[in-house]
Amino acid sequence: MKRRTFLQLGTVIAAGAVLDGCRSKNEQLIPYLIPPDEGITPGKGTYYASSCNACPAGCGILVRVSEGRAKKIEGNPEHPINRGKLCARGQAVVQELYHPDRVPHPLKRNGPRGSGAFTRISWQEGIGLLTDRLKALQREQSTNGLALLTPHLRGTLAELTGRFMRTFGSTNHVSYELLTPDLLRIAARRSFGQPTLPYYDIAETRYLLSFGADFVDSHLSPVKYGSAFGEMRQGRDTVRGHFTYVGGRMSLTAASADRWMPAKPGSEGTLALGIARLILAESLYDSGALAMNGLEAKKLLAALDRYDLPRVAQLSGLPQGAIAEVAREFASTRPALALAGEMVAFQSNGPESVRAVHLLNLLVGSLNRPGGIYPDAGSPSGPENSFAELIALIETMRGGHVKVAMIHGDPLYSVPPATGFHDALAKVPFIVSFSSLLDDTALHADLVLPDHAALESWGDVIPVAGTREPLVGLMQPVVEPLFDTRQFPEVLLATAHELGGRMAAALPDESYLELLKGAVRKQAGFGAGVDFEAAWVDLLQHGGLFKTKSVQPTGYRWSSDAPPPLPEDPDFAGDQKTYPFHLIAYPATAFYDGRGAPYPWLQQLPDPMTTVVWGSWVEINPETAAEHGIGFGDLVEVSSPQGTLRLPAVVYPGIRPDMVAIPLGQGHRGMGRYAQGQGVNPLALVARQGTKQQPAWNATRVRITRISGNGELVTAGHPQGSLRSELVEI
Amino acid sequence: MTSQYRWGMVVDLDRCTGCGACVVACQAENNVAICGKKEISEGRNMHWLRIERFWVGQYPDVRARFLPVLCQHCHDAPCEPVCPVYASYHNPDGLNGQVYNRCVGTRYCGNNCPYAVRVFNFYNHEWPNPLDNQLSPDMTVRTRGVMEKCTFCIQRIRRAKEDAKSENRTIRDGEIQPACAQTCPTDALVFGNMADPRSRVAILSRSPRRFRLLEHLGTHPSICYLKGGGREHV
Ligand code: SF4
Ligand code: SF4
Repeated sequence: MKRRTFLQLGTVIAAGAVLDGCRSKNEQLIPYLIPPDEGITPGKGTYYASSCNACPAGCGILVRVSEGRAKKIEGNPEHPINRGKLCARGQAVVQELYHPDRVPHPLKRNGPRGSGAFTRISWQEGIGLLTDRLKALQREQSTNGLALLTPHLRGTLAELTGRFMRTFGSTNHVSYELLTPDLLRIAARRSFGQPTLPYYDIAETRYLLSFGADFVDSHLSPVKYGSAFGEMRQGRDTVRGHFTYVGGRMSLTAASADRWMPAKPGSEGTLALGIARLILAESLYDSGALAMNGLEAKKLLAALDRYDLPRVAQLSGLPQGAIAEVAREFASTRPALALAGEMVAFQSNGPESVRAVHLLNLLVGSLNRPGGIYPDAGSPSGPENSFAELIALIETMRGGHVKVAMIHGDPLYSVPPATGFHDALAKVPFIVSFSSLLDDTALHADLVLPDHAALESWGDVIPVAGTREPLVGLMQPVVEPLFDTRQFPEVLLATAHELGGRMAAALPDESYLELLKGAVRKQAGFGAGVDFEAAWVDLLQHGGLFKTKSVQPTGYRWSSDAPPPLPEDPDFAGDQKTYPFHLIAYPATAFYDGRGAPYPWLQQLPDPMTTVVWGSWVEINPETAAEHGIGFGDLVEVSSPQGTLRLPAVVYPGIRPDMVAIPLGQGHRGMGRYAQGQGVNPLALVARQGTKQQPAWNATRVRITRISGNGELVTAGHPQGSLRSELVEI
Repeated sequence: MTSQYRWGMVVDLDRCTGCGACVVACQAENNVAICGKKEISEGRNMHWLRIERFWVGQYPDVRARFLPVLCQHCHDAPCEPVCPVYASYHNPDGLNGQVYNRCVGTRYCGNNCPYAVRVFNFYNHEWPNPLDNQLSPDMTVRTRGVMEKCTFCIQRIRRAKEDAKSENRTIRDGEIQPACAQTCPTDALVFGNMADPRSRVAILSRSPRRFRLLEHLGTHPSICYLKGGGREHV
């Protein structure tokens, strides 16, 4: 069958069968066409291409729909980020759509905040309530009394929210998320003069050295880099890439490493400089690369003079021999590639440590080269100090200057209480949440205007990173909306329309879909001769615009005014005597920053490292556990200067004895039946560092005490694995 | 009965990162029940595919190893001869089938499986509305008292066979992908026809890194593992 006929047929069938009685005639479903030579037959049923928005990676998905219901999500083989693959969280997106506790219609609070007592209202009433408040702000000429808080948005939605807030006359517009790559951007700006995140050519490298970058579970684009990792290992005939991981906790990513270097938290940058110094001292560097970047080996060596092997070994707590070995291997195996991730960035000396890793890539000539790093074209720029903006917003709220807060996402869960966000938000008289589940924030809202699920939404999904070609993934609704919900941008447009005047003039679009199409049209740079409607259908069919006219970012080059990276000594909240352990709060493989928690498949998925299901745990080194009389599954109290939590212990061989780790993602007060009351939120323990405007989430000290023998820990597997490893020969 | 297909899988432990994507993909494809905390604490998790994790050594020279374990589709399957009602049977393609509506729940098969991949419905499971919308129409929803396990996504195999038949050809290499292999980001799982020496699985299964799980038991599994790395491996 010709593509054209198939398409027409498909559209007719889809529009007839699935969207019967749908509001807009624009909302036709465009099925994905499986090219016969693609080599996959994922079963029949109709497939629709869309995009995953469960994390910033923005993978492409195909949704299998039969009888108007979404059945299964698969990777879109054409999408350049994930090439047909998906992570566990991406698979579970279908449970967002069919979650039994979705907010089915707008709600108005009728009890105390947080009680969860709401009354059903109509959309007209809901938007009316919001516009009344906004009109009051306009009348009082205090438009700055409106605040909008969202996760990092990119593409059309970012443009729309920006325009909404600017036209309304408010500067209180903050896009924030816990695991934001801001600090990586700051570091890149300082080193290379551009805030571009790195693209790692892992597939082609021969020596991979990761400093706390958990690229197979959470860092930037896990499916992309997971896939590249497989290629690095076994994709080439004669070469098997080597992988060394630096970090005090053996993460899921670190578990695949050939060598694990459990450096003291906060010493990673120092270690990188120690390696750099050795490479310089032994003339193992790429002199061409140094010259190209305007650096002189002699000067650099002098600048790094303090990072001699004995001192670095002492600061990092690693043997000198191992450090020297890694340095020599890294410098002599080309191409080699060094990564720096969140575990390093969220230390008090984060950005400078990340820069130390940049220097390593430069020294071995891995900038802009195969098997090295390139500037990423996914989102070449993005917020660089959203944390400072969040702190400023908190101050404004605390001062009582915010009268209406519109919130997308769940900051009451994902912003650490140490910032004072919780108390500050309580001072806002009117909170509007757009959550589709009653999450912690929605429970405190005065008005809930529930968003569509991702599989009911239109949108463009621009990957945060993971590509060298700019691209725009598209989201299209694959089923008719289940409930009386509305997409967040539609609500913004409707509100602007209601407000009239300047607002209506600035946001005149009929629908978000029209706005989106306009934006994509511009991006695609279609000439006058192109039939845009046909081209649009084609884009939807394939899942996005994978070839754009946007220019690729220019290559990385060390800025002439960039000083050598010099990470300060790490700084921790809590004194060592009272709080002897470093706390690491890391994104759980299944939950990312907590977004995965409401879905039962992910709750049931055994954590890869501990096999724990349905709960939280604290990881403790066996030696430490023995010293404290703590056994596997015991209930433990973890206290920091900021707070106290009780949770079960997991005796974990892959962690430094002076460190404990708790996964992020559990401990929701709301968020539906599956997440509510499961585990604890380690952010309650995280303290802020002095007055610094920096999110040093991994710089808190804690103490641990055994409480009882019953932590109610449930693991799916035996703590050691249920088959004896000698027997299975691995 | 002979067949030109002998379905098999290769699991490359050097690629597998233990991420668990395959576990969820399998659950999604096959209407595998959602199990709560209590049920799993009783050892009654329903996953057809699990990732075993082993700790080897001690801090700081410690390593974690992952091993995806699913039904090995043994050619001499210990689960088959013990079923009194032939619910567990061997099909001509070498698959280890399970007829749900024949199963009377003696659990002999589960007891006899050395890989512990068979799971029993001790409870009736629920998908509270509208979660039931996600249930795949290709698969039955198993009720209490029935044993179930990995089928290599037999629904996908059947469909590919029908397609191939209607086009008068044999199934192409790579045409069938079970849900786990399809989603695996690192391409650690490869499925195909072991009877075709040029298929990707067959080629990979001749790798010097190959081994079979609990090989000494003589079950002759259809799944071939490739040894994972470590510094000793380079
Ligand atoms: S990596 Fe992120 S975007 Fe990709 S499938 Fe997983 S959750 Fe979705
Ligand atoms: S999806 Fe692939 S890499 Fe992930 S656990 Fe399964 S087999 Fe391993």
